[in-house]
Amino acid sequence: MRTSSKNVLAGYHWMAAPAMVFTIGMIGFPIGYAIWLSLSNVPPGGDPVFIGLENYARLVKDPEFWNALKLTVSLYAMSLSMQLVLGTWLGLLLGRSRAAQGLTRVILVSPFMLPPVVVGMMAIVILDPSFGIANWLLAQIGLPPGLWLSDPKTVLFTFAVLDTWQWTPFVALIVMGGYLSLPAEVFEAVELDGATSFQRFWHVTLPLLGPTLVTAAVLRSVDILRFFDVIYLTTQGGPGNSSTTLNILAYRRGFEFFDFGYASAIMITLSAVVFGSVLIFSKLRAAVAW
Amino acid sequence: MVSRHILRALDRIQLTIILAILGIPIVWIFMLAFKSRTEVASLPPKLIFTPTLENFVELFNRNDFLHATINSMIVASGSTVLGIVLGVPAAFAISWHRMSWPATITLFARMAPGTLFLLPWLIMFTKLGLVGSHLVLILTHAAITLPVVIWVLLPYMDALPRELVESAQIDGARQDQILRLVAIPVVSGGMVVAAILSFVFSWNYFVFALVLSGIRTKTAIVASFNFIGEGVTNWGALMAAAVIIALPPLILTLLIQKRLVGGLASGAVKG
Repeated sequence: MRTSSKNVLAGYHWMAAPAMVFTIGMIGFPIGYAIWLSLSNVPPGGDPVFIGLENYARLVKDPEFWNALKLTVSLYAMSLSMQLVLGTWLGLLLGRSRAAQGLTRVILVSPFMLPPVVVGMMAIVILDPSFGIANWLLAQIGLPPGLWLSDPKTVLFTFAVLDTWQWTPFVALIVMGGYLSLPAEVFEAVELDGATSFQRFWHVTLPLLGPTLVTAAVLRSVDILRFFDVIYLTTQGGPGNSSTTLNILAYRRGFEFFDFGYASAIMITLSAVVFGSVLIFSKLRAAVAW
Repeated sequence: MVSRHILRALDRIQLTIILAILGIPIVWIFMLAFKSRTEVASLPPKLIFTPTLENFVELFNRNDFLHATINSMIVASGSTVLGIVLGVPAAFAISWHRMSWPATITLFARMAPGTLFLLPWLIMFTKLGLVGSHLVLILTHAAITLPVVIWVLLPYMDALPRELVESAQIDGARQDQILRLVAIPVVSGGMVVAAILSFVFSWNYFVFALVLSGIRTKTAIVASFNFIGEGVTNWGALMAAAVIIALPPLILTLLIQKRLVGGLASGAVKG
């Protein structure tokens, strides 16, 4: 007989141990190490020397850093707002018409399952100023051609459009899920009140969708603030510095200039921005809960 | 009633336009991949053309793209298996004991930029002599797949009836038997979602392999990136590469479409 089977079977904690060891080694330790590097000067090939907050002090005085922060925030603002607005519109459309089935659903999920690198390759070919189909189509309807990724004035907006193309259907499917789970009585009640469809949307649907939209916003914020692949693949931060976001700046400082300490300080700052945005949204979630 | 018909028709029109905007660029890269070199950049575009495989032939002959594709398969499968092996028992334990720390830590992995880990990893794995190996890519990609597996599986594990486990305990089943014979069969649907998402995330991931792979272990994604300089003048082959790296995620996600969004969004609600 097994004695004290309660004790033998008491805990399954050990089953989490391998994952924990892996997480500490591959995620926890590197984060700690990155923080340490950000407080160090790392001569090429040499060992890190602790220099306190010097890298961060340098950061605050570096116009390139402020430029990168500005670009990161404006890319974020453009992408997120376009995706939320278009995603809500599409999500409600899908919810009303119960259309997210079969081929429609295949088309909806395909963009955000593509490797970002493919989106970049697509942009190179489709948005090529001379030979791309985009400018040819614009010419057919009498519009002037765009320089897209080759113009410092339009490059960031073009990236926002690319990310919006890729991720709006994801936001829409989340919104659709939220919409379809709303209680039907609410809509019947406002219908009887004779509310116009805009009133219904603004005063009923949108507030009820608040928590759903916050969830979508959190998921997209984390990705957009770290947006890297498509930029690195196409412009590598150019023309000039016009698309050098924090992530690109950090990567280039680290892996092209081998300035490990300074690059780590930028990456830690970017991580703080990401965590900050998630924190703000979790406060917001409490505010819009119903 | 008429107005309702009109509204419905308006909805269909809007939906058709959106679906065209989403779908046509993807169809477009597939078309370019099968066009001959003279047709690929011709404007106005030829919509009717004889498909050719010459771009794929050129891609595989000149660039060792086959080798890179095999590398991607190895890395994505390896990191998926590692993620499942570590993540399934962990998800069970986390759910059973309502532990909160693992979820928090893995959430960090989902939020921190990948580049944050890269410098420490480069230093660590250079010291260990692992840079350029398949192993280093599998390990680093598992830092992506493990959190995915845990987050996707947690709701499935939470839905596992506790009585089922408790009655197996009373019957004298060992803990590993309970995991293998009681829990896993019940959550197998979730494991499929977790495995497919892991594979796709690992397959799609760019920046770890960009820094940590070697000439022999380049993934297809990195090989495509390296090909861009040349591909600017050879769109057909460039699009052939895009098609090759786009197909596995597109095909795999067809299998789990209904649960895809739930899987991708898992964790965000509690976060």
